Amino acid sequence: MNISKREFSRRQLLIRSGLAGAAGLSLPAILAACGGDDGGDSGALTLLFENWPEYIDVTDGDVLGTIDRFIAASGVAMSYSEAFNDNLEYFAKIQPLLGTGKSIEADIIAPTQWMAGRLRKLDWLEKLPLNKIPNSKNLEDAFKLPPSDPTGEYSLPWQSGIAGIAYNIDATGRELKSIADLFDPEFKGKIGMLTEMRDTVGLLLLGLGVNPSDITSFDEAAGAFEQLEKAKSDGQIRAFTGNDYIDDLGLGNFAACIGWSGDVLQLGIDNPSVRFVVPEEGATLWWDTMVVPKGAKNVEAAAKFMDFVYDPVQAAQLTAYVQYISPVKGVREEVAKIDSALADNPLLFPDDETKKRFFPFADLSDEVEMQFEEAFSGIIGA
Amino acid sequence: MTPPVVSRVRSLTKISSERFGLVGLILVGVALLLIGARMVSGPIAVLVLVFAALVVVGWISLAILGNPETKRALAPYGLLKPGSMWLALFYLAPLWTLLKSSLSSKETRFEVFPSFTWEFANYGKAFSDFGPQFGRSFLYAGIATALTILIGYPIAYVIAFRAGKYRNLLLGLVVIPFFTSYLIRTIAWTSILADSGPVVGIIESIHLTGVLESLNVMDNGRLINTPAAVIGGLTYNFLPFMILPIYVSLEKIDIGLVDAAQDLYSSGSRALRKVVLPLSIPGVFAGTLLTFIPAAGDFVNAQFLGNPNTTMIGNSIQDQFLRQNNYPVASAMSFVLMAIITALVVVYSRFFGTEDLA
Repeated sequence: MNISKREFSRRQLLIRSGLAGAAGLSLPAILAACGGDDGGDSGALTLLFENWPEYIDVTDGDVLGTIDRFIAASGVAMSYSEAFNDNLEYFAKIQPLLGTGKSIEADIIAPTQWMAGRLRKLDWLEKLPLNKIPNSKNLEDAFKLPPSDPTGEYSLPWQSGIAGIAYNIDATGRELKSIADLFDPEFKGKIGMLTEMRDTVGLLLLGLGVNPSDITSFDEAAGAFEQLEKAKSDGQIRAFTGNDYIDDLGLGNFAACIGWSGDVLQLGIDNPSVRFVVPEEGATLWWDTMVVPKGAKNVEAAAKFMDFVYDPVQAAQLTAYVQYISPVKGVREEVAKIDSALADNPLLFPDDETKKRFFPFADLSDEVEMQFEEAFSGIIGA
Repeated sequence: MTPPVVSRVRSLTKISSERFGLVGLILVGVALLLIGARMVSGPIAVLVLVFAALVVVGWISLAILGNPETKRALAPYGLLKPGSMWLALFYLAPLWTLLKSSLSSKETRFEVFPSFTWEFANYGKAFSDFGPQFGRSFLYAGIATALTILIGYPIAYVIAFRAGKYRNLLLGLVVIPFFTSYLIRTIAWTSILADSGPVVGIIESIHLTGVLESLNVMDNGRLINTPAAVIGGLTYNFLPFMILPIYVSLEKIDIGLVDAAQDLYSSGSRALRKVVLPLSIPGVFAGTLLTFIPAAGDFVNAQFLGNPNTTMIGNSIQDQFLRQNNYPVASAMSFVLMAIITALVVVYSRFFGTEDLA
């Protein structure tokens, strides 16, 4: 019964996509097809989580990763994909579907906090059934009711981290401390920066003595854009990258770059020459969220999963693996049981003194955000 | 004895079978264009589709039932039909959509379907904001094309005239890189040319860094992420597209012509210049088109082998489409790129002449 029903719907899907292919060759439709999502499938009973690369603990021999532990504990069928590589790219991929009232395949996606705010404002998100996520009470106070989700009903943080300076001491020959080091002529052509505008511009602003949390207009940040433009035309910057800066850093193609704390800490385990530093001027704080896109079919299962990862025991295993800052209360005590040195690492569990050096990027108005994005894409030269 | 319908069909087609063939071809093309470009939708689209199908069916039955004269008159159109249907659906329709999109504007920032407003400003923006990228694209593609001729012609010459029994083996070697994906071949160069990689190591150990830096091939002791690496990547990736057409045109040359030139007291190099080279020009012409056009729109090489100051127009178009969601300006940029390439090709073919293009 079940099988024949599924085959039927599959055939229907094929027919429908065939018709869509004949009838719909407009640009957004083609681009959406490139994304490989077809909104209309029915009977998708598998919970799908689309997250950033290398952002979860994986099963290694007898040690189960988060996904497998969840499947074993709940019996929910779940699949996991690393389809999330860049906030803007992902947005462009889902826009033709969610923007026209269709749904996407994923049930949970992991936009960075500001992008989650954009999706919420566009009304592309489902409200979370918080009464079915009792563990959401474990959310750290610092993450409660951010400007991107003022009622706290749409998003739960996945992991948090900071963007600071990552460097390969074999290539630099010395320890780096300051954001100004990124502009040292000695490293000409060996500096990498991120395509994530808020992390790159936020860090440069800190270097100029401007607090990125207080920015309200483009003019206040113009200095950072000028500095960036100059560094780019001088050939100081070798490349603007996403997550792939890790390879260049490990190979020594980058002497130093702007990097994300957990990535670099993970890489540092295998390659001790690679180090991460919170610059003396400060670092930018960000977090990625779990949100449920509008029309998702497995909201109940998604809630179960969120509840599972907000259990401090589970969250601790995740944190010990990915080495980012956990948004869940009580994780530090649990991590101490796994690895006591890790529980004392201020990059994972910042004390109050360290926290003062982390600055989240301001919540920009639509218009200002557009100016920032245009100026930034003009410079990174894509 | 013939049924009345068939005889009527026959008498009809005797009058205007040729015109019917042409009109049918155009009607089906237009119908597919209308559907493909979403100018009609819903029930009307189904009607148009049914209409186009009827034309094709009527057409086929004519070809089957008609008399030999009719069949002969219709044959060329019949042979054109699959190609023109393909062209209408997969070339003209998207082109039309692109043109429309390039003249549209977005009312709100995240609008999915920009509305058509004769927004010519998009073209102004494409020129004013992306001038350097256009310039670089044509410069890099031009240099890469020249290099592929310089490298590819001798190779094709050797394979065609001197390879003997190894000819097929050498041709196979030219084609072998295609067994791996374009992307992987390009990414492989990032490790080959890496700062700590083998090539830089050899250059450093024989102290050629200074020479290469003065030639602008290396920059600050590195090979990768330089304009030279981008041009090198383009040259490498498009070389087979130059070798194969040149080989084909060289291979057709009767070696007796060279002998004849030499019998008439021509030196070997003069025979090459006066006989072989002119006869192989069509191959060079075809190779140039196959290399230059895709190279000018390429974004893979600039992305992996370049730096932020070497981005080509393909990168910008990709960024506008896939990260900035700016379909109108991205479409305008694509159109400008197409227009410039077309203009260049027209000028080039006037200069070289395509009559001999085989």
